[in-house]
Amino acid sequence: MENLQELLHGFTIAVTVPHLVLMVIGVLLGILVGVLPGLGAPNGVSLLLPLTFGMQPVSAIILLSSMYWGALFGGSVTSILFNIPGEPSSVATTFDGYPMARDGRPTTALATAFGSAAFGALVGVILITFLASWVAQVALAFGPPEYFAVYFLAFASFVGMGGAAPIKTVVALAIGFAIAAIGIDTVSGSVRLTMGIDELVKGVSFVVAVMGLFGIGELLVAVEEEFHARGVSSRIDWKEVFRAVVRLPRHGIALLRSAAIGCWMGITPGGPTAASFMSYGIARRFSRRGRHFGTGEVEGIISPETADHAAGTSALLPMLSLGIPGSATAAVMMGGLMIWGLNPGPMLFVDQKDFVWGLIASMYVGNIVAVALVLLTVPIFAALMRIPFVIIAPLIVIICVVGAYSVSNSYLDVVMMLGFGVIGYLFKKMFYPLAPLVLAIVIGDKAEDAFRQSMLMSKGSLGVFFANPLVTSLVLAGLTLLLLPLALQIAHVLRKPREKALAPGPEDRSQQKLRIT
Amino acid sequence: MVSRRALEIATAILTGGFGVAVVVSSFDNGIGWSAAGVDAGTFPFLAGVIIVAGSLYNLARGVLPGGTLASVPVAITGIELRRLAGLFVPAALFVALIPIVGMYVASAGYVFAVLALPRHQSLLRSLAMASATPLALYVVFERMFQVTLPHGALAAAFGL
Repeated sequence: MENLQELLHGFTIAVTVPHLVLMVIGVLLGILVGVLPGLGAPNGVSLLLPLTFGMQPVSAIILLSSMYWGALFGGSVTSILFNIPGEPSSVATTFDGYPMARDGRPTTALATAFGSAAFGALVGVILITFLASWVAQVALAFGPPEYFAVYFLAFASFVGMGGAAPIKTVVALAIGFAIAAIGIDTVSGSVRLTMGIDELVKGVSFVVAVMGLFGIGELLVAVEEEFHARGVSSRIDWKEVFRAVVRLPRHGIALLRSAAIGCWMGITPGGPTAASFMSYGIARRFSRRGRHFGTGEVEGIISPETADHAAGTSALLPMLSLGIPGSATAAVMMGGLMIWGLNPGPMLFVDQKDFVWGLIASMYVGNIVAVALVLLTVPIFAALMRIPFVIIAPLIVIICVVGAYSVSNSYLDVVMMLGFGVIGYLFKKMFYPLAPLVLAIVIGDKAEDAFRQSMLMSKGSLGVFFANPLVTSLVLAGLTLLLLPLALQIAHVLRKPREKALAPGPEDRSQQKLRIT
Repeated sequence: MVSRRALEIATAILTGGFGVAVVVSSFDNGIGWSAAGVDAGTFPFLAGVIIVAGSLYNLARGVLPGGTLASVPVAITGIELRRLAGLFVPAALFVALIPIVGMYVASAGYVFAVLALPRHQSLLRSLAMASATPLALYVVFERMFQVTLPHGALAAAFGL
């Protein structure tokens, strides 16, 4: 039970007054960006990132991860009260959360959502506690070929399981790789892809990309819709909160199933958004009351919320133990780790025990803090939604502009940020996934290095990726995932040539909803 | 009004153009295998080729009739386009003005213009918010986090 000892040590780091204060600040800021439609967890975290450069890494990660928890909760608040998902991952919560709130049970809907979210997060953290150091131990034996195989598997799982059009995912990934290559090549030292702009030698910061793609991009998508925050009452009835939480264990199977889906999607980088949709879809198929889904069904809230938070939490597992983030926000945090001078990956568990276990312990505490704070502040943040969008939008633009500038005091970054905003808008409109793009920008360099080092080892032979059972099975699993959409499509065409016309399924509905996130 | 198809094609051309630029630019670094191992241009080259190929596929899907595109013919309506421009054009002007007048003046002007000109807010409230914005930026960034925001060419001309 070495892990538990380490965890207890972690609690002595996480549960100190300064860190608790950071958690409260982080969670409140997180709820704020979660509630505001133009801001989300990835760019909220990247906005805060430049301000953490002077902090201790463990304090900085506690602040950023608490913001992440806050944002996950905040997104659900607006989904339920206003039918406006504050985060892409809480879109599925609107399907049953808003109808229930509209029927006069907003407290029940909120308490159910928060309760199951906390359960999902708890399962995710427990998984990290027991699995992360083990995975790291295995990964310590990895050489460059194994690393490249794991990266490949991560990218392939976006294509195979991400839910977006496979070719669009591939394009998004490749663009991310190209952007990651801009600047000085770490292996040869030569300058690449600057296209004649000298300032690009320093490369394109992922923070700038995230702020544009998610910040300005989401803002542009949001401004299209006429913005009517016609919310339901946001008063919290504490007795009803208690009753709703007590009723949760009755849906034990749904909770466990959703948590399992969430953990799976978080570790293999499918991300919280895909997890919540998948969990909702599966719940509707298997629940006895599946026909009532969409009218305010309890399990329709439990399933996406549990999976969302389980995925969001467990996305940190591969980030910590392998150096591969499981979601866009985790990618931003991992970029932060590198800026703070830490090397994400298995060595963290050897060199930076305080950091790792302080973070893991803070995840337990942070989620409790988040549940308490979000319940207490629902009325305040609900009131915030009534501020007209015309006032909020320019403020978010200014925050993104100043945030992009503050990364490295560069005006070019601001201009690029705006450019990324246009790309983010187009990609969202046309259903290109943004998470793989960000992931490739953050770890593209590392994947390339791993590939080139493997090639040096094998003197140019690709056989190195089939040299031992471990690397072979990783590569084969990656190839399977990569070709999965193609295989499915062929099977689909062969089986029923023309049955798919009409009948708008849940995907159509969800895509329409996704437009406003 | 912008059709879904036009937007799909425009996006594919944009990504494809970027891909071509990446491919061309990667030739400078050398592609393939040399004494030092895999050349620096190889990875960008491959990424560029994948981008171009994928963009061509997406372009073809956009041009060819039928398929999933038919269900959503209109991507952006006229009203939506106006709202988009209403947000983006002032934001772009704001960014363009930063090197000339500096972050503070530009942000104040931006907030004022966006709130007062379309008469969303009263003149007084717009003025109040426009002056509060640079003040908040100054306190948070220059004072608390010691990030110097650009003061602009105008301020430099006055020797500030």
